[in-house]
Amino acid sequence: MISVKKNNIEGWLFVSPLVIWISLIILVPIYIAFELSLFNVKIIGTSGKFVGIDNYIKLFGKSKFLNASLNSFYWIIGNAICQTFFAFTIALTINYKFPGKKIMANWIILSFIIPTVVVVVIWKLMLSSSSGVINSVLIDIGLLDEATGFFSSPNKAFISLVLINSWRWSPFLALIILSGLNSINREMYDASKVDGANFVQQFLFITFPNLKSVLFVLGLVGTLLSFNIFDIIWLITKGGPSSATTTLPLLIYETAFTKFRISQAATLSIVTSLLLLLFSIIFIKSMAPKEDD
Amino acid sequence: MIKENNIKLIFLSLSLFLIILIFFFPFFWIITSSFKSPEEIIATSTTIIPRSFTLEHYNKILFNSDFFIYLKNSLIVSFSSMIISIILSVSAAYGLHKLKFYGNKFVEYSLLVTYAFPGVILLVPIYLLFAKVNLLNSYFALIVVNVLFATPFAVWMLKAFFKLIPNEIEEAAYIDGASRYIVISRIVVPLAAPGIASVAIFCFIISWTEYLFASILISGDDLKTLPVGLAGIVGQYQIDWGFLLSGAVLASLPVILLFVFIGKYFVSGLTEGAVK
Repeated sequence: MISVKKNNIEGWLFVSPLVIWISLIILVPIYIAFELSLFNVKIIGTSGKFVGIDNYIKLFGKSKFLNASLNSFYWIIGNAICQTFFAFTIALTINYKFPGKKIMANWIILSFIIPTVVVVVIWKLMLSSSSGVINSVLIDIGLLDEATGFFSSPNKAFISLVLINSWRWSPFLALIILSGLNSINREMYDASKVDGANFVQQFLFITFPNLKSVLFVLGLVGTLLSFNIFDIIWLITKGGPSSATTTLPLLIYETAFTKFRISQAATLSIVTSLLLLLFSIIFIKSMAPKEDD
Repeated sequence: MIKENNIKLIFLSLSLFLIILIFFFPFFWIITSSFKSPEEIIATSTTIIPRSFTLEHYNKILFNSDFFIYLKNSLIVSFSSMIISIILSVSAAYGLHKLKFYGNKFVEYSLLVTYAFPGVILLVPIYLLFAKVNLLNSYFALIVVNVLFATPFAVWMLKAFFKLIPNEIEEAAYIDGASRYIVISRIVVPLAAPGIASVAIFCFIISWTEYLFASILISGDDLKTLPVGLAGIVGQYQIDWGFLLSGAVLASLPVILLFVFIGKYFVSGLTEGAVK
């Protein structure tokens, strides 16, 4: 009915306001960052001298950068494991019929809709070493002899933060998995039952393969979103103890706003963007579901 | 067969118990704690059932702090971000869904990847850009950023809602001579209203909870948002827990209230095959 050519113009008309908005707010700053990364500007607003790719060369020799990259890598892996586990547990549980299911499904997402700062307040209080409810319960049931500081050692702090972040995100991911579960044809389960499949086999051979396109989006967006987490870590540990929880986002923030090395921070931003872009392209090329539309 | 059902039942009750304990108990805990006396909050022996009841923390935050200024700022920023996000993403989602134009897959995947660029990577350059164009310390600075964060996923969700509208309805309207504008405003938008409502909540939540950019782009006390105000208390050396907890409860209240009324659209929008 409508010619292909007209669709082209009209299609772009519809998407252009958003595309322009997003491109302006991403590309212009990226350009500014790139320009800055070739100079040695320290405090915002001052000028520096041109140093070419010096900042980039120096960056790769810095132990801080390597440490933060490794932390970011562990952070993504840790969150992926925890969130997949929590999200699937929640989604599969809510997928059953039980009294109160509707209320549960509606309110499970509470941890996602409240401000991150509130998440921080909740867990700082619950995990407090002097008066936290978790410490006192663990002592009462005999799992701990005395109160422990959940953020005092590098490993404990890192694991606690992964769990807190997973607590925030898992319910939201669970609902997206649930959307995938709802789209699976019920008859497949009935047929497999007739063939004698148990629920583990059903999960492995029906549920999981049918969630492919949902898992694709979650794998891509989830990884990028975990990578970007800043406020939970910053507000609880400030990257410590001894830089154990300093991921790349925290390093960029620190470099720019507490150490006032703007050019270094810009260099870090550029390198990080390239890493994420590379990851996204590889992920889309290798994992994108083929049968889409 | 019966045995398998029993195992299922045990698993189900166990995971239900754990889900309630892990995902709901913390809320019970901070709400009840916000009404406890300061001594009870920091007591080493914790009490599951509160022993004291006081409104002093709420009194302090409501009548003796900048709470209402922060609340006003958060409301202005979140509502404006939500409205702009919805307009931009409804238009984009419709274009991507209905009009198969050259480059549509590219736009679609780029939108998903856009999640890679927000966050702290853009923080320094956006700060510099806004400093150059005199946008620091303004609501608009935060709105610009919030729209950037909210729209990629909003488009993704909206596209799925538009797919649920039968093509025949639109075709019939065109045959009757309706223009594209009429079809969108009279048919597509009303039919996708629950979906649009849920996407609107998503955009509101994203803006309401945003902390990083709000803490950097705004320095004036009169323009700070609630998360930044609260974080100021978290960062203090001697935390006034009662004050902080009542603030946390009050800062969550608006999104929770919103969720009471339209939350079911949000959840059913997410779960009933919307995101595919």
